[in-house]
Amino acid sequence: MIEVSALSKRYGGFTAVRDLSFTVQPGEVLGLVGPNGAGKTSTLRSLAGIIPPSGGTVRIGGIDLAAEPVAAKRLLAFFPDEPRLFDYLTVRQHLNFVARIYGVADYAALAQPLLEELEIAEKADQLPGELSRGMKQKLAIACGLLHSPRVMFFDEPLTGLDPLGIRRMKDSILRRARDGAAIVLSSHLLHLLEEVCSHVLILKKGEKIAHGSLAEISAQFAHGETGVSLEEIFIRATRGSEN
Amino acid sequence: MLGALLYLRLTSLKNLLLSRLRRLRQPKYLLGAAVGVAYFYFIFSRPFGVTGRPSTSSGSAAAASFTLSSFELVPLLSVFGAFALVLIALFTWLVPSEKPGLTFSEAEVAFLFPAPISRRRLIHFRLLGAQLPILLSAIFFTLLSRGWSFLGGHVLTHIVGWWLVLTVVNLHFTGAALTLNRIFDAGISVWRRRLVILGGLAVLVVAAAIPIWQNAPAFPTGDFGPGAFFSAIARTIDTGLLSWLLSPGKLLLAPFLAADIRTFFFALGPATLLLAVHYFWVSRLEVSFEEASVAHAEKRAAQVERFQAGDYRLGSAPVKARREPFPLRVPGRPELAFLWKNLLGTRALFHWRVWAGCAVAITIGVPWVIRAGGNTPFAAIIATVAAVFAIYTLLLGPQLARQDLRSDLPNSDILKIYPLTGWQILLGQLLTPIAILTGLLWLSLLAVMLALAPRAETVSWLTPGFRLTAGLCAAAVIPALCTLQLLIPNAAALLFPAWFQSTRTRGGGIELMGQRLIFVIGQLFVILISLLPVVLSCALVIFASQWLIGPTAAVVLATLLALAILAAEIAGGLWWLGERFEKLDLATELRP
Repeated sequence: MIEVSALSKRYGGFTAVRDLSFTVQPGEVLGLVGPNGAGKTSTLRSLAGIIPPSGGTVRIGGIDLAAEPVAAKRLLAFFPDEPRLFDYLTVRQHLNFVARIYGVADYAALAQPLLEELEIAEKADQLPGELSRGMKQKLAIACGLLHSPRVMFFDEPLTGLDPLGIRRMKDSILRRARDGAAIVLSSHLLHLLEEVCSHVLILKKGEKIAHGSLAEISAQFAHGETGVSLEEIFIRATRGSEN
Repeated sequence: MLGALLYLRLTSLKNLLLSRLRRLRQPKYLLGAAVGVAYFYFIFSRPFGVTGRPSTSSGSAAAASFTLSSFELVPLLSVFGAFALVLIALFTWLVPSEKPGLTFSEAEVAFLFPAPISRRRLIHFRLLGAQLPILLSAIFFTLLSRGWSFLGGHVLTHIVGWWLVLTVVNLHFTGAALTLNRIFDAGISVWRRRLVILGGLAVLVVAAAIPIWQNAPAFPTGDFGPGAFFSAIARTIDTGLLSWLLSPGKLLLAPFLAADIRTFFFALGPATLLLAVHYFWVSRLEVSFEEASVAHAEKRAAQVERFQAGDYRLGSAPVKARREPFPLRVPGRPELAFLWKNLLGTRALFHWRVWAGCAVAITIGVPWVIRAGGNTPFAAIIATVAAVFAIYTLLLGPQLARQDLRSDLPNSDILKIYPLTGWQILLGQLLTPIAILTGLLWLSLLAVMLALAPRAETVSWLTPGFRLTAGLCAAAVIPALCTLQLLIPNAAALLFPAWFQSTRTRGGGIELMGQRLIFVIGQLFVILISLLPVVLSCALVIFASQWLIGPTAAVVLATLLALAILAAEIAGGLWWLGERFEKLDLATELRP
């Protein structure tokens, strides 16, 4: 579903992502982890077509993102760490706008259950300024899910959520994966990623230093120990350094 | 303690100046500063309409002329200036600012409010903090009013004069805000307070109007100039009770208007006394300002955070949802979704129903006014005003109507996820300001066309048929012209995002003003270059074909050609800028 080959991203003389290759199959949840400045956000933004990669290819559902961006983007949704909403559109108007952009003809039938699932149905006629941060994030998610994307990218999806919100977000991600979506998410909350991700990709200074299922990664860095947490694996993999 | 507060103020100022100087190492700020300095040099050094400080060598005639004009003007300026100060004071009490009397930054609130500093010292800190901007404003105004040197005085007396006026006005604002806070804290509602002030104002107006009515000097009759007219108004204002009300203002303005050093020092005493009274009033007010200051500091901090996050829109977000401008059906052209979205972000005034109402009012009103006014003079005035409005709308409108990519650039990450090409997003974003400007220009055009009707009696070729055709042709070209005009600032935002974003920050000094000027000059230059082929081609077509097919058909032919050229330019611009938008990474572009 997501095929990344030799992806690189340079900013002038600085290389944020270097020769990155991996795939994410339907139903998989890939956790993108790494120290600050490892290139996680640049990778996610390149995968979502927000910034053009400096090299390599990204295929979404078999479609080359660089060659056919419009077709590829129809399949994906990107959820930034900070919900970006239009100040003067209500919750319902946001969904109407997104439906027109993506051409979701039966959006009215889809929107109501989505709003109810995310518990913002009663806020449907309110502006973002009247919503709490958690509610705003729910609205951003509703907008992203409206066109039933098969590929989802989450950048720090759990930031700013209360414990109940975190639980619901995790459940929502797992449910989408079970329904066949390919999901990539980045987060520093490793113990929470451990509960959600089927696979992990560890980045450091823009390079892949480990990639595989949780079991594979654990086997690679646990050195025979049992019950080693993702946090411990992360520290061992990155040698405790912050770059 | 005051030493620590002074240290805070001076160190902050020093660091601010150093950071401003350091950023001049970036070419965009250096160039902006150069243009800004050049602009101010031009403004301050250009000759004014009235010039000439009397020099000792210029002879007695010039001196007599100076004495006469000064003699006439100083009392006039004194009365009108004092009247303006009275109005400002009344406005301050009637419609107080949203700001609290004393404004503090979030850091100042965090450090100073819990610190062992008395409230009076905090007030002094704030008042002292206002002194530097006031002094800079006094110098600026003195430079601006350099051309008034015929009033006499010296540059230093003018600076001190301006400083006194601005300081007292600032103290009055602060005192009024604090006093109103106190009244509000006492449980008196805004409306009750306003009612009391309006009642008092009504009594004052009546008390002032009676002596004016009874004793006001008669207006000059016959053929009289503006000097005599304004003198008559000044004499009317400066009568009875109103004259007493104007006295403090006159005393305050006297140092600025002093013609020589001796008069200045005589005037300085009463003005300083006014300042002292205001200072005593503000510093002795026992009123709670902390809560309002904290709330204001938080609001300001939120705005700064919004700016730093890339949201450069001024003002706060709308407080309640708007009615949709039209139903957004799905499916449909995605570009129209941007028109729908951005119209929701504009004022309720920009609605097709309002536009239709205006069109009907113009269609009925303009002919009626022309008929009622005896045709020609009113028609010429209406046509001129409408034409000037149209020119200003076309030239300045794109800088004001920003409901396009410029406002949505901070959301570029979200926009780029949409399954749309760059040119589609750009076109969609441009539709709202195009609709707004086109609507305004069409209304102006309608007014011009209706106002030109009486000219048909004297200009043979201005037949109703020709006017209708020319009007429709102009109406057809207007949306294309607006699109081209709007493409240019959007292109600037996409091609030079770092430059563009820095010009959108508030304030920022001479270098940012210079950057804004560069953008305005650039816009004018590009639009002239873009319109050159259109104008030349149309002129050629009209010149060559009107002999064969007549002026009406020639105008239609030229319009078609103009539309074709403009469409080609717009299509090329949209495609090119769309490509640029797809490749844009705002985070990289704004990286210092």
